[in-house]
Amino acid sequence: MLERIKKLLIESEADAWELTETLTEGWEFYFIRHRLDQNRAKKVRHIRVRVYRTTDGRKTIGSASEEIPPTATDTEAEDMIRQLVKRASYVKNPYYTLNAPSGGPLAPAEGKTPDLSSLAEDYLSAVREIEETEDAYLNSCEIFVRVNHVHFLNSEGIDITDVRPDSTLELVVNAKDASGEIELYRLRDAGVCDKEALKASVAEVMRFGRDRLRAQPMPKLKKADVVFSTAEIREICGFFAGRMSASYKVRGYSDWEIGQPLGEGDVHVSLEALAELPNSSHNALCDAEGARIHDTVMLRDGVPQAFLGNRQFSAGLGLKDSFIPGNYRMSGGAADEEEICAGDYLEAVDFSDFQADPLSGSIGGGGGPPYWHHGGEVTPVTGGSISGNMLTLMRSMKMTKELTRYDNMEVPQRIRLSGMSVTGIA
Amino acid sequence: MKAPFSPYLNEIRDPLKKLIDILSGTYAYVSVLSTDSRGFAIRVSQHVRTVEGRTMTTERGTVVRVYRDGLYSEYAFNELDPERISEKAEEIRTALDAQLKLLAQTGTAVYETPPLPDEPLTLLSEMETGSLPEDADFDALIADLAGVSDAACAAGPDVIECQVAAQSTHICKMFFTKQRDLRQSYVYSEAVLAAVAVKDGRSEMAHEGVSGRIGPELFFELSGKVAETVQAAEEMLTAERVEPGEYDIITSPEVTGLIAHEAFGHGVEMDMFVKGRALGADYIGRRVGSDLVTMHEGALCAENVTSYAFDDEGTPAGDVTEIDRGILKTGICDAISAARLGVQPTGNGKRENFEHKVYTRMTNTLFDSGTSSLEEMIASVSHGFLLKGMQSGMEDPKHWGIQCMIERGYEIRDGKLTGRVMAPILMTGYVPDLLGSVSMVSADRQVFGNGGCGKGHKEWVKVADGGPVLKAKARLG
Repeated sequence: MLERIKKLLIESEADAWELTETLTEGWEFYFIRHRLDQNRAKKVRHIRVRVYRTTDGRKTIGSASEEIPPTATDTEAEDMIRQLVKRASYVKNPYYTLNAPSGGPLAPAEGKTPDLSSLAEDYLSAVREIEETEDAYLNSCEIFVRVNHVHFLNSEGIDITDVRPDSTLELVVNAKDASGEIELYRLRDAGVCDKEALKASVAEVMRFGRDRLRAQPMPKLKKADVVFSTAEIREICGFFAGRMSASYKVRGYSDWEIGQPLGEGDVHVSLEALAELPNSSHNALCDAEGARIHDTVMLRDGVPQAFLGNRQFSAGLGLKDSFIPGNYRMSGGAADEEEICAGDYLEAVDFSDFQADPLSGSIGGGGGPPYWHHGGEVTPVTGGSISGNMLTLMRSMKMTKELTRYDNMEVPQRIRLSGMSVTGIA
Repeated sequence: MKAPFSPYLNEIRDPLKKLIDILSGTYAYVSVLSTDSRGFAIRVSQHVRTVEGRTMTTERGTVVRVYRDGLYSEYAFNELDPERISEKAEEIRTALDAQLKLLAQTGTAVYETPPLPDEPLTLLSEMETGSLPEDADFDALIADLAGVSDAACAAGPDVIECQVAAQSTHICKMFFTKQRDLRQSYVYSEAVLAAVAVKDGRSEMAHEGVSGRIGPELFFELSGKVAETVQAAEEMLTAERVEPGEYDIITSPEVTGLIAHEAFGHGVEMDMFVKGRALGADYIGRRVGSDLVTMHEGALCAENVTSYAFDDEGTPAGDVTEIDRGILKTGICDAISAARLGVQPTGNGKRENFEHKVYTRMTNTLFDSGTSSLEEMIASVSHGFLLKGMQSGMEDPKHWGIQCMIERGYEIRDGKLTGRVMAPILMTGYVPDLLGSVSMVSADRQVFGNGGCGKGHKEWVKVADGGPVLKAKARLG
């Protein structure tokens, strides 16, 4: 099928094209407590085509894309490509070129790709081995394992194949006592099952659950320092990554400049885009447009070094060697845990909704079981929310030296933001 | 015109019926859902334009559901040779048997479920639309949407960018069992403009949208939203942060819809009852809101982006009264959960696409109208906020916590708008307290179908929600 589509593209009126075939085989298991709710399997092939048309003497270029079903006939596929070429001619963006081969051939890492059965077995046994108690137990879980075969080609001669496993685990954990029952939710993406990390995560969430059962109403603090120690830190990392993206810069959403210190030198965060992170579900040889991914410093000690993004936005900024990042490392902290956790603070953990908007800087959320650390006492609290703006909060942001990993992001274990707004009820 | 049913799906009808016949030799129940939904998305801004042949709901593929020994299993695929149906049946059996072998090795017990009823039903529904996405004039549409972006940038002194996103999808689905033969075809469209204003190092975005079960002709309504969107973006540039606390609130219809969705939308999805994850199961027949609160849910409640004829399990669309004058009456239910709970399914079994599992999901979730006016509500508030623009929300069915991120709030003091704007606003509360505090409801009502809804943090589907203007009390921060 792929060769057929490639031939049709070459014979079409497209000035350039990209072609991506992804064959995914997946197994899924759904559990209520430890009983099987449903099992599912899939084998699906997706063929995505993007065609480009240049106009105005190569001053402008436009693209249009479509998925061509593997069941499409030659006539149907040819017609779809003809329609795409027509659509692309109506789209006029400043001219840019597609990625071209560079730096020698790319090949998948050596080693056997796990089969679905062994990938699934690891998760099934890990879930079975979760240590449950009378007062904290698994309510339900969903296991997804996939093997993805990706083949990317473009009209400039890039031809890359890659095979990667990836997986998702959704866990709902309940805790109960005489006063009632609560639940906590976690969704974990990874390359393959990391049993030890999974067990540690479940033990942590069960501890949060037990603590939340004895939670007191959140005090009306108005303002407080907040220490983040769970996956909310991903959102903070995403705020910096968003403002260092080429698309934000081109659109005028980010006023950060290369070489100009953030927050008048008060910000000391570093951010890198990484080709690989151990067991990340985002590891890949190239990005979705065939650009080679390589380790790149985006922020160094609070000073922008490189915007990154897709070919179109990167061309708008005149960037060389740019790509769409998949993995990030956020670092730059100098504090140890004792320093981060000094004095009074609210410890935000497992918020059900927490967002950091890279455009406005707004940050906020709630719904989790935070801990109020006050005068040496630690009290689990509930019923409140926190909010603030990263553009000001980042100036007093403290981070631990030690890093931890959430799938495709390596981030400080703890981050402290000073003076966030806190809505309480008591 | 009527949205014509997919010729491709008609071509594979008989082969798929043969597949059911073959698999019925092994399994006690077999159903097939096949989809062929095509559409497009156009994005236009001052800096970039794109045309994609993909929306949230475009797909072509098939999922087979089988039942044996109390267990439901599914296999999804998108390669089908009508001449080799026996091989496809064998592929399905082999894959599912391999899973069962592994499950047997790990000593996994099954959550035993009764077989689904299979009552005879035949349907071909080709719904009305003004036009089809496959016939769209892209040159004209791109020009019109670019005009919307240009108009927004010209309308506000601080507006630096306006992204316009418009998409239209022609949904075609067919569902078979031994007894059922259902086909449906409809078109829905939606468009959003998002104006970005920047001043003195501050950036804010405001957005407005349109949606409906019609074709791309809907996009031309977007120009009527430019002035309101630009004004909101400009206002947000000087917005303050709200002093955390409890206030009287007046919710515009889109915020009302967000509350409907998060409060007793997710809270009465009955697959959560099966897992013991929803407090609502214990509150059927009990008071959960004031007398002014009546809420409906169902694909038949409105004509919007998810107003289908039957759901992804072949259950006809419904209209469920979830809350009647403050009393929780019932929830919504997919077919398997209904079999487990001993109730009737409500036509709310939905998949993200053919590759995904069915869950109980919302369609149109709406508060009923009342008799008050917005002016009366504002006049009745001593200190509070008129809330406009929804950003996101999160439910907590187990504890009835609700959390809504709202774009902006307009201060009201002594019965009058003061001109002060707060943004953004995080509204939190306990669902029965929030609904119990509803003291005024407006006579009009609107429905909004932009965006999507996840189950947990995945499984994204189209939903619509809305209602009238409400007056209530909530915590804001």
